[in-house]
Amino acid sequence: MATRTTVTPGRPRAVDGSMSRLLEAFGHVPVAAVIRRGEDLPRALASQVPAVFFLRAPAFHLGPLVWAVQARGKLAFVHIDLIAGLGKDRAGIAFLARDIGVNGIITSHSGLVAAARAEKVIAVQRLLLYDDLALPSAMSALDHARPDIVEVLPGVIFPLVVNEIRSRLPLPIIVGGFVTEPAQRDAALQHGALAVSTSTAELWP
Amino acid sequence: MRTPGVMGVMLPAVRDGASLNQALDLGFRQVLLERGSLLSIVGALAGAARQGVAIFVNLDAVEGLAPDSAALAFLATDLGFSGVLSVKPHLLQDASRFRLRTIQRIHALDSTGLETGLHSLVSPAPYAIAIAPAVAIPQVMPIIRSITSTPVWGTGFISSAEQAAEALRAGAAVVSSARLEVWRDFSRTLVS
Repeated sequence: MATRTTVTPGRPRAVDGSMSRLLEAFGHVPVAAVIRRGEDLPRALASQVPAVFFLRAPAFHLGPLVWAVQARGKLAFVHIDLIAGLGKDRAGIAFLARDIGVNGIITSHSGLVAAARAEKVIAVQRLLLYDDLALPSAMSALDHARPDIVEVLPGVIFPLVVNEIRSRLPLPIIVGGFVTEPAQRDAALQHGALAVSTSTAELWP
Repeated sequence: MRTPGVMGVMLPAVRDGASLNQALDLGFRQVLLERGSLLSIVGALAGAARQGVAIFVNLDAVEGLAPDSAALAFLATDLGFSGVLSVKPHLLQDASRFRLRTIQRIHALDSTGLETGLHSLVSPAPYAIAIAPAVAIPQVMPIIRSITSTPVWGTGFISSAEQAAEALRAGAAVVSSARLEVWRDFSRTLVS
């Protein structure tokens, strides 16, 4: 297991200024590549996307994948809720931040947002829109946690709730979940999304 | 209420005595208790069930019930309810022993999560799967049908009769909405 003291040569400094870098990069290319399987990574590395989201990465073999992303000048995010082998807690985030050097974490849990902030990585909190009755409480949770970015899923719901979300949560929004067609990407961006996240490689510029 | 001219059923989602009465007054013969305290309106629900109204309960969101066998026995035997919805497969396995119809809730938020949910269906097969949000059904039905032929219900974010009709046209058997306007529009639009 790699640690801070056995850094791979050429590994960039991950954390400092990441948020402003990300906002600027999404201004040029508003797409994050979602990596579901390791074999999807080379295509993402070769693309223009400024950010890579690892969805189901194995925690203790993640380092080289993250560093390959960062060596291309891209930012690497890890979905901590779905990662195998790692505790969904402060120690897990500390490992990702310090030992791996990820730029950010993605989570559905408000409690992990504070931990991410303490570790100075970007906190992306998912707003899961499966039930309109649960929306008010979900937005209250986000309002309280104040992540750096909200990832709204699924994309098809975003236009229906965009005004409600933006009036309550003045945060940058990434839209993900079944964004598989250019029209869906464009709809999300037209409704004010900072970027879309998608595993559909055809949408990676 | 199987509406003439459309293959599919509107399942009004109720949360209290007032919304239950509104659904029954509109002539619906099935309701989903989606929120609220089951115990606070248990008398009205049991009365409706005795008159042949099919009552379904979302076990993940309703207050007042433990997710265990005693609660399931109460719903099935004492109250005569028709079925239960949950994201928890083991709870539905238990429910099937009480002859409740079992509806496996599955979140359609992204392709990874949806496929994981569909592949984790256990034996005995659920009576149906309930996809949330229902608005995503037209988009995700091909993924669902590539994995399972289980009947599809839809719940969540149905705010117009047109959205309900779209989910039904895409192949959903049942669509649920919590909005009185949708129940009204649905019966007005689709009863020919």
